[in-house]
Amino acid sequence: MLTLTLLEPPTVPLEAEVLSPDVLAPLSHAEVRALPVYHGKRRLRLDEFFEVEGDGSDHVTLHGDLGRVRWVGRKMTRGHITIHGPVGMHLGAHMRGGHIEVHGSAADWVGGEMAGGTIHVRGDAGGQVGSAYRGSVSGMSGGTILVEGAAGIEVGMRMRRGLIAVRGPVRDFAGLQMKGGTLVLMSGAELRAGAWMTRGTIISLKPLRLLPTFGLACDYAPAFLRLYARHLAGLGFPLPADGSYHRFTGDAAVPGKGEVLQWQPHPA
Amino acid sequence: MSCTLGEVKNRADLIIYWGGNPAECHPRHFTKYTIMQKGKYVPNGRKGRTMVLVDIRETPSAKAADIFLQVRPGKDFEVLTLLRAIVKGQRIDPRAAAETGLTLEQLTDLADRMKRAKFGVLFFGMGLSMTRGKHMNSAAALTLAAELNAFTKFVAMPMRGHGNVTGADVVLRYTTGYPFGINLCRGYPRFNPGEFSSVDLLVRGDVDATLVLGADPGATMPQPAIDHLARTPTIVLDPKVTHTSRLARVHITTAATGITAPGTVYRMDEVPLPLRPPLKGPYPSDEEVLRRIIAAVRKKPAWEPDPAGVMAG
Amino acid sequence: MLRITGGTVYDPANGVHGEVRDVCIAGGKVVAAVEGGRTIDASGMVVFPGGVDVHTHVAGAALNFARGLIPEQHRKAVPVVHSKLRRAGLGGVTPTTFATGYLYAGMGWTTVNEAAVPVLSAKHTHEELRDTPIVDKTCCVLMANNELLLDLLEAGEYERARDVLAWLVWAAKAYGVKAVNPGGVAAWKWGKDAKRLSDPVEGYGKMTPGTIVAALARMVDDLHLPHPLHLHCNSLGNPGNVDVTLETMKVLEGNRAHLAHLQYHAYGGDDWGTIRSEAVAVADAFNANPNLTADAGAVLFGNTVTITADGPWQHLLFQLTGKKWANLDVENETGCGVVPYAYKPGSPANAVQWAVGLELLLLITDPWRIYLTTDHPNGAPFWRYPEIIRLLMDRDYRREQLNTIPGAVHSRLVLPELTREYTLSEIAVITSAGPARALGLPHKGHLGVGADADVAIFNVDKDPARMFAYPRYVIKGGEVVIEEGELRQVVEGRSFAVRPAYDEAVEAYLRPVFQQQYTMSFDNYPVGPDRVHGLEVVGPATQAGREPGEPGA
Repeated sequence: MLTLTLLEPPTVPLEAEVLSPDVLAPLSHAEVRALPVYHGKRRLRLDEFFEVEGDGSDHVTLHGDLGRVRWVGRKMTRGHITIHGPVGMHLGAHMRGGHIEVHGSAADWVGGEMAGGTIHVRGDAGGQVGSAYRGSVSGMSGGTILVEGAAGIEVGMRMRRGLIAVRGPVRDFAGLQMKGGTLVLMSGAELRAGAWMTRGTIISLKPLRLLPTFGLACDYAPAFLRLYARHLAGLGFPLPADGSYHRFTGDAAVPGKGEVLQWQPHPA
Repeated sequence: MSCTLGEVKNRADLIIYWGGNPAECHPRHFTKYTIMQKGKYVPNGRKGRTMVLVDIRETPSAKAADIFLQVRPGKDFEVLTLLRAIVKGQRIDPRAAAETGLTLEQLTDLADRMKRAKFGVLFFGMGLSMTRGKHMNSAAALTLAAELNAFTKFVAMPMRGHGNVTGADVVLRYTTGYPFGINLCRGYPRFNPGEFSSVDLLVRGDVDATLVLGADPGATMPQPAIDHLARTPTIVLDPKVTHTSRLARVHITTAATGITAPGTVYRMDEVPLPLRPPLKGPYPSDEEVLRRIIAAVRKKPAWEPDPAGVMAG
Repeated sequence: MLRITGGTVYDPANGVHGEVRDVCIAGGKVVAAVEGGRTIDASGMVVFPGGVDVHTHVAGAALNFARGLIPEQHRKAVPVVHSKLRRAGLGGVTPTTFATGYLYAGMGWTTVNEAAVPVLSAKHTHEELRDTPIVDKTCCVLMANNELLLDLLEAGEYERARDVLAWLVWAAKAYGVKAVNPGGVAAWKWGKDAKRLSDPVEGYGKMTPGTIVAALARMVDDLHLPHPLHLHCNSLGNPGNVDVTLETMKVLEGNRAHLAHLQYHAYGGDDWGTIRSEAVAVADAFNANPNLTADAGAVLFGNTVTITADGPWQHLLFQLTGKKWANLDVENETGCGVVPYAYKPGSPANAVQWAVGLELLLLITDPWRIYLTTDHPNGAPFWRYPEIIRLLMDRDYRREQLNTIPGAVHSRLVLPELTREYTLSEIAVITSAGPARALGLPHKGHLGVGADADVAIFNVDKDPARMFAYPRYVIKGGEVVIEEGELRQVVEGRSFAVRPAYDEAVEAYLRPVFQQQYTMSFDNYPVGPDRVHGLEVVGPATQAGREPGEPGA
């Protein structure tokens, strides 16, 4: 068990991609303390910012206001990171395995281009959750991101596989250019959900204001959804047992074969 | 999907302005480059061209247009996306289309005109690129134009704002690979608009000093950004007193480029134009001031970035 | 002053093929002898004249357009970290300007020819070249779709057209004349193409690609430009385009031409499913035409971005790949397209392209007429040249690599039958001596007395890819820039431009036509000499018409 407590919030962003079990686990206490972090343009030691307790471990706990600490869990493949407090951008970006739990909010790019593992944010998340970085062909290609609070714009942009579930409302362009995978919106989304999607599934429990390039295909209570609902219930995101779904397809502009399943409380 | 403005002058028979008011904001655009010019392949000038204006309100530019299409505010992305679908022959629900403020007939007519044009151009202004949807609105305009090339020649071009924005974009691209939103803290360029763009840096308070060149963020940026500029050391290079210079720690008066200092300005189509100053003035150019700042910084202990600090792939 | 002692010198232009001898340097030049100064002990090492790239895209509006389009590739690129010596930047498939200089010099290349410059944005190209350190630079200006020229040729006014061309070369501060898909780009302005040499050019009555090629080659020779017409033939990249390439060699009627990236013009077959190598036919015809030189335009498997003034080809690539596409047309002059692309060994079409580049290098008998390029970044980024050198020098390695492509493709190639291995001397020819001669730069590409002191010194290594990727020393203009494989000093490069002779009255003709067709003032159009950093103006060649195979100047 390794516990790191932020001494005080950094004055400018602190880039700390070393805060990953893959890096930390094999190290001694002294080695952990000496790891490099980047405060603005300066390379400094980890222990200039964190109080370090314990030796390197696959179980890492972070405490403090980490809102300016970026790249935590970058490229991690194993282990657990637990964060008590807010955390900065790029949490779990390029992650391939392991588990990140945030008791607080996370900034933009949670799980950017991640390929595997789980990220669970108890508070809100910023924009671009599970998204592609600018110019990339695909975003998230596997794994699970769960957000208990709200999320920002472009959630699941260009995602190819995996699951994103958001309990709170999300802003514009959810599932933008989505290519696969599943995006579950428990409280709906603002404008332009599913814009330019080619494949993949958006499930919304609230009515969405879809683009005019989506068409209502049918009313729908598919068998696979029951299986999926069981999986989601296990993650703490239960789908309603009753009702049915309007199935919209689009985006005709691409033209794409994505589907948007919008829950209807009463069977049609 | 772009071209230099002379291509428009010589060839364009369909000219669409979207989310801009060139009659007032780019007054020379009509006369120098687009509708009023007689072009090599448009010998009849204005008569040989169709101008379409798309905007959320009827600006003075509408008088110049053959067709004015009034879009409901916030529906530009929807209209562009609909046009992409219509161009590809996808079936659209007329009621859904009507929510944009335009009828399916109007949209289909525009799509047909775009496909029929010999050479079409779509100029899009800040009414598109700076409203809700921002970069995705621009992406929609560019994508539509690209896709129209399956049918005819079609280009799209942003109507940039004032100053040499294009020039900055061009130079940053060849020196760093990226046009804007660049961070050099690790000793090499990284790019992430939204994270590293100046407005976001200032709003979040991610920087502890700011050098302002050829801009007046104190007049245009949101209040938290302005507050941060006032709170931290801000240095302004500008020929005149600006909102930003008033809140800055340091204002260095520089020569006005093109008036008392030479330079190069990049036109919105990335064509460089030399500037020959007609007057002499007492102030140093931006370039000279920057060179002197660099020389002074060189005398301080060198900042050597960590060669091992490269964030691989 | 500098003396390089004990190295095994390869200076094929001066008939030196691996002899242990000293190279002496003073005042930035190779001299007969020096007294005092520094000595580099190159015992056991190989000494080459600095590399010369006859065809690359390292600066200009098109390349810079591409840079903006591919942030995802930049993120994977090897960055240049800022230091006291180095400016920050990025390597990768479109290196930034400073990085371009470091990367070329870092593998022993000291002169590069930027192969595609529109006059309208030549000021911008020179700005970028100014920020490209160490290497010396030349550039070729795009002419084969220039409407001022085509209109005159259509009207049968050859002489005035030639004067206009000469004026434009000087206006751009260019060194040579480039022709890209003659007539095809002009047609592209209407969304059309001109693929065959006898196709009419959209918008013209008499012009065909064939008449444009012939007229330009003749003008370049009439003007005695040091570099022949630099020709990107029509129908680039299309299966079955071999006929167009062979026909192009004929319409040149003995005028000089440099055929750029010949690999992209040597295909048989009817479509992407049946594409096959026609390297034998192209090489045979090429071998028989001593007026021609060529560069390989070789392809290596991997990610890159394709950038060319060949708009129609780019639109086709976009339709084939469904990837990003950007196009930028330049008024009255040219156009350009950008498509990110990955060459995959499993793709039969890409495998054919990979093989054809090597085949041409192996089948063309005179190494003085074929040069190593990848048409950077189209076939692969330039910093991968050492991998091609290994493929040329080591047939066993070549055979291994042939096993990575689908076996069914082998029957469409001639590569499996080729056993030739390049010697070090031949590598020195195709990377330095040959391209320097083709460019008409008598002070480049050799180590004779009076040559520019551009020298690359390599450790002997049984793996030529490693040997040529990491020179032990690189000397540019007499200054040691790379030492023990590390950058030690950054010097500025020069820019060579040609001022051909023309009738001054041509300006009076041009001015009103220009004001009619362009959107800037005529006086703002030419690049002022003061805007070209390190400008060195060379006159037209005094020994024009020299056979490319002839011994050195």
